[in-house]
Amino acid sequence: MSEISRRDFLKLARDGFLYLSGALTLGGLLRFLDYDPNPAPTTEFDLGPALNYPLNSRTLLSAPQAVLLHTENGFSALSLICTHLGCTVEQKTDGFTCPCHGSRFGSNGTVTNGPAEKPLQSLRVEVTDEGNLKLFTA
Amino acid sequence: MKKILTLASGLLLLTLVFAWWLNSREPKPVKLIPTLSGQPEYCITCHADVPEISASHPVVTFGCVSCHGGERLALDEDLAHSTMRGGANPSDLSVVEASCGGSNCHSGSEADDRHHIQRVMTSVQSTYAGAIANIRYTFGAQTDLNAHYGINAITDDQTKTDITSLFAFDPASETNPSIQKFGENCLTCHINATPREGETYDRQTGCAACHSTEQHTLATAIPYTQCNACHNRGNYDLRTMTFTERTDHPTQRIDDYYQPIAQFTQCEYTLDCVDCHTRSEVMGDGDLHASQKDIQYVTCKTCHGTLTELPLTKTLTNPNDIAFRMSFLNPIVDLKPGDTIIVTENGEPLWNTRVLSDGTYEMIGKATSQYFTFKPVIGSSCTQSGQDQSSAYCHECHAVER
Repeated sequence: MSEISRRDFLKLARDGFLYLSGALTLGGLLRFLDYDPNPAPTTEFDLGPALNYPLNSRTLLSAPQAVLLHTENGFSALSLICTHLGCTVEQKTDGFTCPCHGSRFGSNGTVTNGPAEKPLQSLRVEVTDEGNLKLFTA
Repeated sequence: MKKILTLASGLLLLTLVFAWWLNSREPKPVKLIPTLSGQPEYCITCHADVPEISASHPVVTFGCVSCHGGERLALDEDLAHSTMRGGANPSDLSVVEASCGGSNCHSGSEADDRHHIQRVMTSVQSTYAGAIANIRYTFGAQTDLNAHYGINAITDDQTKTDITSLFAFDPASETNPSIQKFGENCLTCHINATPREGETYDRQTGCAACHSTEQHTLATAIPYTQCNACHNRGNYDLRTMTFTERTDHPTQRIDDYYQPIAQFTQCEYTLDCVDCHTRSEVMGDGDLHASQKDIQYVTCKTCHGTLTELPLTKTLTNPNDIAFRMSFLNPIVDLKPGDTIIVTENGEPLWNTRVLSDGTYEMIGKATSQYFTFKPVIGSSCTQSGQDQSSAYCHECHAVER
């Protein structure tokens, strides 16, 4: 094994430092540019195959917080965000109840008890050509 | 030249590694997007251990910024806190409208009974109008006992009382030394005053003065000890205009609740203040009043009736009745439509009561969850006149010996 000369060693070290510094700088720059502290909220959600949601089923979703309904009329969804101040309503036998301030909603989302004044928001659901469900919150 | 370049590149690398290391020591930003605002905030990066303030204000819904203010995207401590409202207490009355207000929150309509801030701002707890009027009258600064001054200037164009506005009380502009001393020594009890030093006076200002019973907690189950931070901790000496702290150190509720000179009945010390005193008495009714006497109206007969009348009751039928709202916020009792409860002379529900089938009544302690049964005056050996309802009359027969 040939011995490396002092000159070559310094050259290697210099180049190594430079490449590494460049890589670190580039990495930092990419990380900085890629970071969005204030991203726009997601409004489109892929719910997977429509077959996973059989007829006459009600499925609670966690993202977004909604309930997916599959009836003979097709797919529909109700937001579980209370229209009063935005708490997540809980499903009960006769509809939905807000655990924060006590608003109550019927199973179709209509207000049965304040303080909420507006019904739960209906969300658009579409079936894609591939047979998947897409849910839109805006 | 090459040596310098090698050295410089080495230094650059070291600097970058050092910067990377420093950055790695910083907390990883934790984002929260509250459903109420829909805007990301990074407060829980450092404050993840702060407990939920109440079931009505979950952090995933409200976040931190909607109440506390602050720079929601900042990770630097000073910058993040630079625009906070009221320091650590956004319910301080100087900022309460921005923090707790809003038509869906605590400055809603009177019709919906959601005008909490308006009620508090005009209440005697905030204005201290009665005490100021009494002192100014006593020392000749005004010729009547009417309320002309409050802690802050306030106007209520829609008041149902005779008082439409109060001027701001300024002790420095008073000429009588006693009134000046009153200003210096006796204004630590109104709801937005900085409390006296000492553990027993420990409370915050604004809404939190009453509703924050523990650190970062909002409750409607308010024990008497919270009220005691102002009430029953001492006396004002009107000769010297100084506050004289209680010298006894009560360890039992019976001694702690009232001062040694006071008389009381059993229910007055076994219950908490909020079990009997209503929302409008304590928080105000939205109108300016001259003194505590003008707003406080619940008496013994409210619950016990008189020799000729049973207490007023009401069967709850409207699911939007405020009684349900109150019991929802402090679920010590599962109130249902069809339940019959006692109501006050002004129609306020004592939602923590119920009429039992044998004609007696039950009250559930709002802070203790204890059940207390009690009887009406009718059918008892009591001979009390229905007109004489101040506590002194009832104390004649029912005072507890200490």
